[in-house]
Amino acid sequence: MNLTRVKIRELRKSLDSKEIGAAELCGEYFKRIEAVDPELLSYITVTKEKALKDAENAQKLIDEGKSTALTGIPLAIKDNICIDGVRTTCASKMLENFVPPYNATVIEKLNVEGYVLLGRTSMDEFAMGGSNQTSAFAKTKNPYDLGRVPGGSSGGSAAAVSASLAPAALGSDTGGSIRQPSSFCGVTGIKPTYGRVSRYGLVAFASSLDQIGPICSDAHDCAIMLNAICGHDRHDATSARVDTPDFTEKLGQPINGMKIALPKEFYAEGVDDAVKTAVMDAARELEKQGAVLVDCSMPGLKYAIPAYYLIACAEAASNLSRFDGIKYGFRGEGRTFEELIRDSRSRGFGEEVKRRILLGNYALSSGYYDAYYKKALALKQEIIRQYNQIFERADVILTPTAPTPAYKIGSQDNDPVKMYQADICTVTVNIAKLPGVSTTCGYTEDGLPVGMSIIGKRFDEQTILQCADAFEQGFSPVAPKL
Amino acid sequence: MAVELKTIQHLCELSKLDYDEDGMKKVMGEMSDIIDLMDEIKEFDLTYDDTKDGNEIRFDDTREDVPEESFPTEKLLSNAENTDGCYVVPKVVE
Repeated sequence: MNLTRVKIRELRKSLDSKEIGAAELCGEYFKRIEAVDPELLSYITVTKEKALKDAENAQKLIDEGKSTALTGIPLAIKDNICIDGVRTTCASKMLENFVPPYNATVIEKLNVEGYVLLGRTSMDEFAMGGSNQTSAFAKTKNPYDLGRVPGGSSGGSAAAVSASLAPAALGSDTGGSIRQPSSFCGVTGIKPTYGRVSRYGLVAFASSLDQIGPICSDAHDCAIMLNAICGHDRHDATSARVDTPDFTEKLGQPINGMKIALPKEFYAEGVDDAVKTAVMDAARELEKQGAVLVDCSMPGLKYAIPAYYLIACAEAASNLSRFDGIKYGFRGEGRTFEELIRDSRSRGFGEEVKRRILLGNYALSSGYYDAYYKKALALKQEIIRQYNQIFERADVILTPTAPTPAYKIGSQDNDPVKMYQADICTVTVNIAKLPGVSTTCGYTEDGLPVGMSIIGKRFDEQTILQCADAFEQGFSPVAPKL
Repeated sequence: MAVELKTIQHLCELSKLDYDEDGMKKVMGEMSDIIDLMDEIKEFDLTYDDTKDGNEIRFDDTREDVPEESFPTEKLLSNAENTDGCYVVPKVVE
């Protein structure tokens, strides 16, 4: 079977028509993983045994005519989403041998659908990074150029989908971690509105910003995946009790009259010309389809990076204080309780994670709290206000997903500031709790994908998926040659 | 602005992290650059208004406080390195 960028809905037809069995299908993916992944390094753990059991259960449902959208569909899951009995490492030595005793809510929902788990995809350690190079176990490469990064932190999920080692995957996004790797790897990924998808069982990085979402070949598949995982959850008090529409409903509807805002600051200095050109060409393509382009401004973007890193790291410092080497996780040495904890944390965490904990505690510590953390909260309010103002005149906002295409491995290793600044196009969406979808809008002269982000009003994933889908209908994606 | 050694040492105390001498020098340099970047926010002239946050999204819909079956102890202890039916830690009281 040709697996190249095959869609979930195509696999659904093949499974339901018995053209292929669920076990045979996941077997095809494992063959491809064995052939390609030793070099690509998108997976940390491949779960062949469990997959065969999952496939057996799925096949029963299919044979009984009880299949739903994801029954028998093989999926890859980012290694920070807990799966009962399956090692979940967060790509950290701290959790190298951690086996969760429970399922995340999104996994419970996928189980109800009868999905098949292919394995756990690599990521930046504890989701902190935009390159996948902080992973302690699998420093994933970009499928379009193995000398370049796949983006991050959900770089393993994006690379696996891009290289057709999974038809779809789950990732998580705290400041761009679904959208930026989707852009670098030439696939489509959506960060839902905060509260749309339960975070129960997602290992926390920054609780007010984290959100789980799918990475797929296109917007239509993202809508199918989002249908399966969304909804209020009694285990997550921050999951919203709102209607869960069918996210495929508006796909294919014309975008005639849709107002698309282009905030000028997202197209300013610091964004590569190749990226600007590709996104502006896409804007004009949408205009040809009947959309109306609206000029606007978001002056708050200037301070978005410090605001995001102060909030995210403050929350991370608090969230990661649970890792003490006692109840679970890497256990260091020490004659006293204090020594044991300090040694466990100092040797269990990688350098980037430690830097962010230090920064978070700096922002929260006495004497700095008002100057940094509270200032960041003030900026968060201002960014929300500015987004609201834009949405008074527009239905969606169009921006580049990242200022550059995928960069060379090692080129930003010793420069955390440069690495942080590269998140400029994505972080405000998390700060304002908005949904955003990234889809490929072009390729550079070197053949590297360029992504654009379509940002929507809170809980209006339908419209951004409709817009992304409308663009994709007239765009011919190029799969990597792997 | 260079961050002082005593500031980093204080942050290490708060964070329960240790660095050797070389690691400490390296992280001091990196944190100085990072804090310079964070300092840009000081130019921003607005004050946080905590009365504006409550109406963003309502999350006051907590579940009923009903006792439920919990996880089996064995399963929860399976991730701890040393167990004897409980979490084993170094002596806390001298």
